[in-house]
Amino acid sequence: MSIAEKLDKMLYQVSNPVRYIGNEWNQIKKEWTNSHVKILLTFPDVYEIGMSHLGLKILYHRLNEEDKIICERTYAPWFDMEELMRREDIPLYSLETKAPASEFDIIGFSLQYEMSYTTIINMINLAGIPVYSHERSEEDPLIISGGSTVYNPEPLADFFDLFFIGEAESGLINLVNKYRKLKDKGLKRKEILFELNKLPGVYVPSLYSVDYDDKGRINSIVSKEDGVKERIKRQVITDLDNSFYPTDFIVPYMDIVHNRAVLEVLRGCTRGCRFCAAGMTYRPVRERKINTLIDMADKILQSTGYEELSLSSLSTVDYSDIERLVKIMAERYREDKISISLSSLRVDEFSVKLAKEVQKVRKTGLTFAPEAGTQRLRNVINKGVNEKDLYQAVKSAFTAGWSRIKLYYMMGLPSETDTDLEGIAKMSKKVLDMGRKLKKTKRGIKVSVSVSTFIPKPFTPFQWVEMNSQEEIIKKQDLLRKVLRGRGLQFSWNDPELSLMESILARGDRRLSGVIYQAWKQGSKFDGWNECFDFELWNKAFNDNELDYRDYLRKRDFDEILPWSHIYTGVTDEFLKKEYEKSLKGELTKDCRESHCHNGCDVCYGLGASMELVGGTNDAQG
Amino acid sequence: MMLRAKFSKLKPLRYISHLELMDTIRRALRRAQFPLAYTEGYNPHIKLSLCQPLSVGMIGLGEFFDLELDSYIEPEFFSSSLNMQVPEGIKIIEAREIGDNLKSLQAIINSAVFTINMEYNDKVDEASLIKDFMARDSIEIIRHRRKKKDRKIDLRPMIFDLKLKERNIWSFTLSVGSSGNVRPTEIIQALHKWNQSIKEVPIINITREAMYVKIKDNYFEPWEKKLSGDE
Repeated sequence: MSIAEKLDKMLYQVSNPVRYIGNEWNQIKKEWTNSHVKILLTFPDVYEIGMSHLGLKILYHRLNEEDKIICERTYAPWFDMEELMRREDIPLYSLETKAPASEFDIIGFSLQYEMSYTTIINMINLAGIPVYSHERSEEDPLIISGGSTVYNPEPLADFFDLFFIGEAESGLINLVNKYRKLKDKGLKRKEILFELNKLPGVYVPSLYSVDYDDKGRINSIVSKEDGVKERIKRQVITDLDNSFYPTDFIVPYMDIVHNRAVLEVLRGCTRGCRFCAAGMTYRPVRERKINTLIDMADKILQSTGYEELSLSSLSTVDYSDIERLVKIMAERYREDKISISLSSLRVDEFSVKLAKEVQKVRKTGLTFAPEAGTQRLRNVINKGVNEKDLYQAVKSAFTAGWSRIKLYYMMGLPSETDTDLEGIAKMSKKVLDMGRKLKKTKRGIKVSVSVSTFIPKPFTPFQWVEMNSQEEIIKKQDLLRKVLRGRGLQFSWNDPELSLMESILARGDRRLSGVIYQAWKQGSKFDGWNECFDFELWNKAFNDNELDYRDYLRKRDFDEILPWSHIYTGVTDEFLKKEYEKSLKGELTKDCRESHCHNGCDVCYGLGASMELVGGTNDAQG
Repeated sequence: MMLRAKFSKLKPLRYISHLELMDTIRRALRRAQFPLAYTEGYNPHIKLSLCQPLSVGMIGLGEFFDLELDSYIEPEFFSSSLNMQVPEGIKIIEAREIGDNLKSLQAIINSAVFTINMEYNDKVDEASLIKDFMARDSIEIIRHRRKKKDRKIDLRPMIFDLKLKERNIWSFTLSVGSSGNVRPTEIIQALHKWNQSIKEVPIINITREAMYVKIKDNYFEPWEKKLSGDE
């Protein structure tokens, strides 16, 4: 029986079988021939999460634009499906043609979250491919990855044949074309990887060796052979306005996490929050023109039939001419009953005004992220928001008809004291009181306070700081639970052990490959799902590898060689150090948009890119 | 105008749920750019309604939906245009304009024909098996209900007809809807309980072939003029 036949006969046995059938509207199914390079793109989580990820959608359609490339998709099967697959000898397969993953030339994983690493190993194994790259044979596909956590790829170094560092829209095509040429010439796997490493942004970890001292600090990271570049430079797209963006998105049957048409309005963020990895690693900010966006939106809505359009980016409200963009979009699609949503709101009155413009239904609630409970700490993290901003935003939200407000904070930030945590409660309670007064009722007014645990991430000014210990996290959460009590308040927090593990992997080195492998061997997968995560398995895996996980939580020295120091994101070390020192003094750094590049992050110079603030510069219709 | 459309949900889409099917049709309708009528209010919806949900895993060959449009379009044009916008696995068979006084699908459809691909010993005499089964006075089963107590029910009066379609394929005409609903999986259970040599087959062995309005002993398609009371 073929895989397709088996699925047809057996899928009724699993939960959510629709995850595994493919055949969605706009999927691209090409006839396989020998002259095609076949690429399987995957996201190491379940379908409804993986299918919501924009980056992978862009690459899927970009790759399929090429006549000589076939790109298909797969996602991680849930426990019941994996059991069925292993029992019935169904390997990991593609949704489009139901071809075994092992028959593809290249399998590309999207790295978006550290806690998906064991799921990656599980998927490679489910494909029937050796999980360690050095064990793979000439017949096995190249296993590659990229994404937002690729800037420290080291914990995965033993599993991947190569990493792509940065935005891959154009670089990936070059990579595939070169791969084809090398393969046609009859080169061996090792030789192919050596040649591919010469491409910009391509990092073949096996060509580099890392040397540690007896305390586990890195002595050196060096290339093993001549002709292997010293450092790998992050790739960025210049002229975003003219760069590829798909308009024929796949329309899933399942109600996925982000089930709507997504318009990428801009890329990057100019705010410079010191905890935020995306804010540093997606620099510089690049916008699309309004006319380009209108044209894309028209096509996307026509080809998908979606009833909702999301104006998406790290910070959509910062778009140069956001008011006009929102107004045009809302008017243009009013008759077709298409609702417009903004992916993230700034903490200010202006954002609420925009939300008011597009959101006719006020039941979903609005979300703001003050991030910290006192002005002192907000200055430390360079979150340019004050309490007045928040209260004004909240006031206009309640007045406009919203009754539920969600507030995002972090705990465990550098220099944090109990006063800062109590500040979270103070602000949240004040928001609740405002709601009750403005609405003249207690009923239905709700403030959800989500306090996630801060995790120091590579390539941020906080990459050197110590991660809170488990005891500290628990103590702080206990305090928050005590002060955030009361009707109308709803407090949510992260599993402390999950945060610890995430921080370990985020700043981990190559020695963690063995730990990840052991954790997977003992049953770890879907670690990002609270109900699946078991810290004991990880603890054991550390012991088996004779490593102490606490060592990965420690403060790093400025002069230490960090595991990711051979990766160059464009943002200089000097800038990050300066930012860290400013944070200690509570000094703010201006938004790139206003500072005329006096901040000195050097990313534009380093990568040959520049800010593209074209949102307000053209003659829009409407 | 009101349209009533007959469609099939085939193998490639047997695993999508009722709600997913609704969303799929809604988006196809939007892509086809019909003059869709929407509900009033802050959260407008296309005025689309389907009849009894088809279980996940089952194929349906004669399903129906109702749709309201703001202006007239040729039913044949509607079918052909929509067929270009639906994924493989949905096919619009026919659409007809229906009058305002024809009741909703939910209200009038009360019977459906299911075929079940049976599994039993090859030597079984199917004809006499069917005869014996239908000769029973009552066929009791325990119905499990979500968040409610189990209930004992008699299936026999709700089985209108049972025929052998071809070797191993039995065709049941069952009562469906608010006046009495039999799930074909309950029939399978009852058969197995009654005669152990008849295996309990999975849901994918069931096809909903057609849906009718049963009046006395006559079966009507849900758009026949007789039903609207005009004649």
